[in-house]
Amino acid sequence: MGKPSVWSSNRFWRRSATWVTGVSAVLLILLTFDSMSQMQMGTAQDIKNKVDKRIPSPLVINYKIDYQLNRKRGHEVPIIGGMDANGNSKYEEKEKFFGRDNYSEKEARELIHLGKLTIQAKNCMDCHTLLGNGAYYAPDLTKAWLDPNWKTLAPAYGGKEYAMATFLQNPPAMAMHERKMPNLGITKQEAKAVVAYLKFMSAIDTNGFPRNFGKIKGAVDAWK
Amino acid sequence: MHGSKLYEGQKLALKYFTVAIVLFGAQLLFGLFAAIQFLYPDFLFGVLDFSINRMVHINALVVWLLYAMIGAVYWLLPDEAGREVVGVKLGELAFYVLTAAVAVVVLVYLFIQIGPGKESTIWFITEGREYIEAPRWADIGIVVVVLIFLYNVYATVMSGRRTGILAVLMADLIALAGLYLAGMFYTDNIAVDQYWWWWVVHLWVEATWEVYVAAVGGYILIKTLNANRKVVEMWLWIEVAMMFGSGILGLGHHYFWIGTPEYWWEIGALFSALEPVPLVGLFVHVLYDWGKERGKGNKITNVPAFSWLTVETFGNFLGAGVWGFMHTLPQINLYTHGTQWPAAHGHLAFFGAYVAIMISAIYLAIQGKAGLKELKMTKAGWWAISLITVGVLLMTVSLTIAAYVQTMVERGMHGATWEGFFAAQNNEWFWQGICWRLVTGIMVIVGYGFLVYDLLTCTKKQPVKESEAEVAAAAA
Amino acid sequence: MCIEPCTDVVCSFWSILNQGPMTLTITLHTLIVLPMIWIYFDEKKKMAQGDIPEE
Repeated sequence: MGKPSVWSSNRFWRRSATWVTGVSAVLLILLTFDSMSQMQMGTAQDIKNKVDKRIPSPLVINYKIDYQLNRKRGHEVPIIGGMDANGNSKYEEKEKFFGRDNYSEKEARELIHLGKLTIQAKNCMDCHTLLGNGAYYAPDLTKAWLDPNWKTLAPAYGGKEYAMATFLQNPPAMAMHERKMPNLGITKQEAKAVVAYLKFMSAIDTNGFPRNFGKIKGAVDAWK
Repeated sequence: MHGSKLYEGQKLALKYFTVAIVLFGAQLLFGLFAAIQFLYPDFLFGVLDFSINRMVHINALVVWLLYAMIGAVYWLLPDEAGREVVGVKLGELAFYVLTAAVAVVVLVYLFIQIGPGKESTIWFITEGREYIEAPRWADIGIVVVVLIFLYNVYATVMSGRRTGILAVLMADLIALAGLYLAGMFYTDNIAVDQYWWWWVVHLWVEATWEVYVAAVGGYILIKTLNANRKVVEMWLWIEVAMMFGSGILGLGHHYFWIGTPEYWWEIGALFSALEPVPLVGLFVHVLYDWGKERGKGNKITNVPAFSWLTVETFGNFLGAGVWGFMHTLPQINLYTHGTQWPAAHGHLAFFGAYVAIMISAIYLAIQGKAGLKELKMTKAGWWAISLITVGVLLMTVSLTIAAYVQTMVERGMHGATWEGFFAAQNNEWFWQGICWRLVTGIMVIVGYGFLVYDLLTCTKKQPVKESEAEVAAAAA
Repeated sequence: MCIEPCTDVVCSFWSILNQGPMTLTITLHTLIVLPMIWIYFDEKKKMAQGDIPEE
């Protein structure tokens, strides 16, 4: 054995490992506090004051939702209730959701609550992805509310929310592909709540994921 | 060693290993169903839908790995600490409670499957959150069982020999258990939901489980190669520094697109980019020790265990390291997130990082149980390791081809819509990848058959001379 | 001129450190790695003094 070296000393590595682990954990906790404060669900007050929230108030179901490129951010962002000249949400343009655009905060929250519970109870995430996480057997639902496919189907059902709710209550009857969704016994009320959740989810700021959603000209129906 | 006489803790380990191997079979079976459904969507439609097969596939994986991980700790604990496991009777009770709970959860998954959109569904049927679908009552049961396990480990080490390997395991297991709590609450906010969900999933598989593997891998090196403990433990501390240093903040690569602030892009990108480094280290370490001990004329005392450990280091580096790095930068991940990419990466990473080393630990226990000084590779054992390893590698390649197509067609060309999704799924390159996945999956299942056969018979099929010498030695 | 207000939805301590690619991550990496140099020299000193107990 030559001169003992710090590099081959167990003590040195044990101390380093302890330090690195400890400080990483502390940094993660600090970052988590900051992220959590930014990720709280918005309120009626935020909508009224036109404050952008990463996760908006469930009241967005009363508004028109869009997904447009924002120059400052450098990617697409959700646009709620129309877009102003700077590319920001105006929170003005309403849109009827199952015939109403005046859901109260309480009603909207209840819908979102039932929607989320149903999404978990029916195990959506083991076929679909939500915010890109889940299984890869069926399409991503992050911006499903804005999918051009529902726009095409909407007129026949009196609006896309009706088309989506009808589909959810008996998917095989409206199968759009050989790989069809099974009938999961979703009730009328649950279907409405799930559609509300999808609309709400499409208004979450996902830092531009998915890119170019439904924007590419000529892409729609290209495979038919 | 202590001849063929086992510690009670090691007998308990054998029980955990037995259930682990059975659940491994269940994982493969339901994976097969899901793979068939990709090609023939009407297969079992309305009876066992894809979501159910997929859920059982990944849950069986997680649960059998946990069983094997607990088993491996009970196996090495008395050996390292130099004393019987404290509270082994309690550990035994916990084993039966856990196994009964797992059986109930699986039956509910298969026969009740889903529930109405109510809190009661979350409590008694499914939580519907990928990987941790187990209903809330089972979560609480798991916590209790894990607390018993932790008590056994801590109490044993405190009153026994405290090696570096055990010190790392003690710290790691408490973090591993604590993290599970992050996945045990309900929220309407899906972004917050997924934020904490990743604490469980990522900080398990990309931090605490990796450190666990480094510790158990060190033990296996000492056992199979007679590697120098001081060197092994130095490496172990280096591994811990690098794995936790990159893995803890590497969590950020799951926070690119789920409603989280933009600063996670660069944290996630550059910390997770370093995650492969310790995996290279592990790889180099094992090969270096192998060469060194062979040079000294030392024999490998358990060839199957050592071979599976080599597969582990190779698979861990390739599957978790290379395949993970390929899509970890946000500029790429924007297009690969939620495609077959993570599926390709996940298959090789789980196999390489965890499945292989758990099989290695099981071979070590098989040898110990039979009281053999040396365990050689049998023909069946050779077929098992070859078919499973090559099968998973080719499966990963197939899924990667499908992933490329999906990323280009669905995300690049069609802008991620419903039609884009099916345009990609119908593309013949994609479809061929999925076909090959099924073929390679069947290869793995055949390999599993050989593995089970070998685990049951390999100790009886050792070269006659040595077993005779063994019997004579035991009799003396 | 180099420091620009953050482009994110909400400005926070972390998003201000995030000035284009890598500023935040390099800061964090440095914070984690630098003290290891101190640990190194501390161990070296102890070794020279023969303070290290045999393991």
